[in-house]
Amino acid sequence: MELLERYLQAVKFWLPNEQKQDIIAELSEDLRSQIEDRETELGRNLNEAEIEAILKERGRPLLVANRYQPQQYLIGPVLFPIYRFVLKIVALCYLLPWVIVWLCLLAFSPSYRVSHGNWAMSAMAGWSSLWVLAVSAFGIVTLVFTVLEHAQAKSRFLENWNPRRLPPLRDPNQIKRSASIGELAGNFALIWWISYLSSPLLVNRPEIRVTLSHSWTYLFRSLLLLAICNMALAGWNLMRPYWTGLRATLRLVTDGIGWALFCWFLKANMVAELVIPSIPPARVLLIRDGANLWMAKSLPLALVFGVIILGVDTYRIIRVTRKDRFFAPGVPVTVV
Amino acid sequence: MSPESFENLRLELRRGCLVVAVLAALREEQYGYTLRKALAEHGIDIDEGTLYPLLRRLESQGLLSSEWREQDKRNKRFYRLSHDGELILKQLVAEWRAMDEALNGILDGNLKQGEEKQDEKKQDAKEKSHGATRAVPASR
Repeated sequence: MELLERYLQAVKFWLPNEQKQDIIAELSEDLRSQIEDRETELGRNLNEAEIEAILKERGRPLLVANRYQPQQYLIGPVLFPIYRFVLKIVALCYLLPWVIVWLCLLAFSPSYRVSHGNWAMSAMAGWSSLWVLAVSAFGIVTLVFTVLEHAQAKSRFLENWNPRRLPPLRDPNQIKRSASIGELAGNFALIWWISYLSSPLLVNRPEIRVTLSHSWTYLFRSLLLLAICNMALAGWNLMRPYWTGLRATLRLVTDGIGWALFCWFLKANMVAELVIPSIPPARVLLIRDGANLWMAKSLPLALVFGVIILGVDTYRIIRVTRKDRFFAPGVPVTVV
Repeated sequence: MSPESFENLRLELRRGCLVVAVLAALREEQYGYTLRKALAEHGIDIDEGTLYPLLRRLESQGLLSSEWREQDKRNKRFYRLSHDGELILKQLVAEWRAMDEALNGILDGNLKQGEEKQDEKKQDAKEKSHGATRAVPASR
């Protein structure tokens, strides 16, 4: 029976203090009755293996004890979906950008690698920082939701809600008029602004003169044309505020061209001449080269953002052309 | 459907019934071990890990009363339905019977509908086969 006593002791350890004795007395009585019954059936005392089988059938001590405990949780079923949603947002909007920037630095910035010794050390340092960030973010969100769960259990604040305050029906293919108006205004401002920059002689003052390279003329014209196209598309969207396959494709094309032009701008050593009479020419040359170099170094970041923008545009085309797309009630299905 | 899914649904279905079974069985005073055996004899198998916490919960709700007593030279905890437990049991049994009747109605209705559909299908099949045998000479 030593095995039985050991089992009871193990169960007792996990039981709530105020009920320990009572539960153990009852459990002990039940097990002894079961053993006695079995012994009567067999006409002999049970050996250790048979007692072991009975205890094993009864279950692991921790599990047996747990059944006597009330259900406990840090974050309950009401808040858990919100908690999971917030964790996803944190991962997408905080950790993912961090990882992208870190990977860009690791791949394209020799100074970043040098500051950590070598490539492997930089990777290790970044990896450990990522873990610290991820665990801290997870911990903070969990802590906040644990506090909310306690508050919810006491005040039931989530039970007070008004159906009238539910968000309006969402149609991902609808284009907000405010977005189209914003786009029109933005492109208009761009045209107005770059019309002053048509000449490669960007600044021509006694104290400073900045001349851009000849490619600026082509870039300027292309940007102007692109802004006009974007304005036309925004105007079209304003009149018919639903994405169609054609317009979503046009958006992909204009964004793609804009992205390519921007990359070209960064890589084309655009600052051709810089004259600052108050500074020695050698230093001015250094400043000019530095400006061109930094623009060229920003290219990987521009590439990453470009990929994201084009990814979003492509997803929009897929969504619009999908057969099972969602239509809000009352919205016409065929929109050109 | 996996056997695991069926098992989960079966347990869910049984969960509410166990309370009624335990309350009904405790109209006569019993201790845990004999109660479990009595339920098993009636076809309701309930493991100790479920039964004892359930007894405690029902007692804390005032539906059962219990006392420790010596029997066969051993201390045993005897449970019995309390006055409140009797009232609740009556209500639960009424609820159970109403639900049983409603469920039977639904099941019988569906069975009848299913049988009617089967008959319709058979009839359709017969008509089609007749139509086909008639159509063969006509097509020639």
